[in-house]
Amino acid sequence: MSFEADVIAWLPQLRRYARALTGDRAWADDLVQDTAERALARWSAFRPNSNLRAWLLTILRHLYIDQLRGRREIAVDDESAPWRNLEAPQAEVDGLMLRDLQRALYCLPVEQREVLLLVCVEELSYQEASKALGVPIGTVMSRLSRARERMRVLLTEGPAHGPTQGPTRKSPPLKVVRNQQ
Amino acid sequence: MNNDDYDPGLPEGLDLRALSAFVDGELPHAQHAAIEAQLEQYPQAAARVAAWRAQKTALRALCGAPQRSARADFDERHDDPERDAADEPAFIVVRRSPPWWQRVGLAACWLAVGAGLALAVGPLAPRLTGGKWGGAWGGAGSQPPSFAQRADIAYAVYTPERRHPVEVAASEEEHLINWLSKRLNRPLSVPSLQEYGYSLVGGRLLPGEAGPAAQFMYENSTGVRLTLYVTGIARDETAFRLFRDGNRRTFYWVNDGMGYALSGSIAEGKLRSIAIDVCSALGGKPEAWQ
Repeated sequence: MSFEADVIAWLPQLRRYARALTGDRAWADDLVQDTAERALARWSAFRPNSNLRAWLLTILRHLYIDQLRGRREIAVDDESAPWRNLEAPQAEVDGLMLRDLQRALYCLPVEQREVLLLVCVEELSYQEASKALGVPIGTVMSRLSRARERMRVLLTEGPAHGPTQGPTRKSPPLKVVRNQQ
Repeated sequence: MNNDDYDPGLPEGLDLRALSAFVDGELPHAQHAAIEAQLEQYPQAAARVAAWRAQKTALRALCGAPQRSARADFDERHDDPERDAADEPAFIVVRRSPPWWQRVGLAACWLAVGAGLALAVGPLAPRLTGGKWGGAWGGAGSQPPSFAQRADIAYAVYTPERRHPVEVAASEEEHLINWLSKRLNRPLSVPSLQEYGYSLVGGRLLPGEAGPAAQFMYENSTGVRLTLYVTGIARDETAFRLFRDGNRRTFYWVNDGMGYALSGSIAEGKLRSIAIDVCSALGGKPEAWQ
C-alpha cells in the first residue's frame, strides 16, 4: 500500500479519537482533515518502520492543543458545553450512565482526558502513548491513574460534589471569557 | 487528595499507578500475578480495579469503539468495514500551502521582534535582579545556587506584572520556544501544567549568571502564577532542593547541564508535586530524590 492509502485507512480511528477528545463533531472533522493534510505534506519526516498510527495521533494532538488555545478565548457556558452537543449514546448500554461518563470525561483536564482515551479507547500501549504525548512513561502512568481515579470519584459522588469536595482541584477545562460589549 | 498517586488505605505495591497498569495489562508477568493475588486481601483495591475496568468498557461504548478488547484485534480493525466508516468520507482534501518565502518572511519578522524586545528589556534586568539577596534560605547552612535566587527574584519581579508579564505570549509558542532555545543554545521544551489548571502565559529572556536564562510563566484561572526558570549550569548535581523567601517557594534542580527552578507562592506540597512532574517531563529523574 502507498503511504497515502495507509494514512487514509486510519482516518476512521483518528476521527473517533478526535470526536472523543473534542466532544465536537465539526471540530473533530476539521482536526482529522488537518492531521491527514499535515501527514501527507510531511511524509518524508515519517520513518518507514515506525508506528504510523502513533505518529498520526501525535500530529492530531499537536493540532488540537494549538487550536484549543485559540478557542479557549471563545465563550463556553454550560449550555454549549461539549457534552451537550454529542449524539445520544448508543442504546445497548445504559444511556444515562454514559451521559454521566461523558460529563465526567469533559471535567478532566485535557492531559488526563487524552491519555485516558489513548489507552482505554484507542488501546495504545504505554510505550506508544508516551511517544504520542511526548512524555515519559512514568508520566503516562501517573496521569492515567489520576484520570481514572478522578473519573471514578466524579461518577460515584456525582458532579454536584465531585469537583468542589475536599482539596480536589477544580479545573474547568474551558474558561469562560466573555466580551463585554 | 486525588492528585496524589498514593492512597493511605493501600499497601505498598498496590498504589494507584500499579493498579492502573494492572488494569491495562502493562505489568511484567510476576508483578501482575502478585497484584492479582493481593487483590483478594484488599477489597478496596479490588473494587477500584473493578470500577476502572467498567470505566474502560463504558468509555469504549461511549466512543463507539468495538467491544472486543484485544490489542491484536485492534491492529487489523482498520481493514474492517466499520460502521462509522459507512457514513464518513474516507478522504481528505489537500490544500496548497503558502509559498516558502511567505513563511520564512513571517518567521524573520518574529525573530526581529524578539530580538528587539530582548534589547529593550535586557539592560533593565541586571538592575532588577542584581543587588543584595534578602530573605532566609530554605536549607540551613549552605547557600542556594545563584540561579535559584535569580529565579526567585525574577518570579517576584515579573509575576505581579499585569500588562507585560511576558515578552512573547503563549499564542506564539512555537516562536517562543525556538527563540529561547536559540538564545540558550539548546533545545528547550515547555512542559504543560494544564493538568494542574495552569496554562502557559508566555516567556521572556533574562540575563543569567553565566549566560542567558529563560523564564516561562504559567497562570491559573484565578490569576495565580508560577514560573519555570531555565539556564545553563556548568556543574552537575542531582539534588532537588527548596529555597524559601517570604511567601515565595522555589524548587530547583540541575539536570544534564541545565538548571531548572519552579517558583510560586502556592502551598509547598502542591508546588513540590508540580515540580516533580515538571522535572520528569523535562527528562530528569525525580525518582532519584523522591
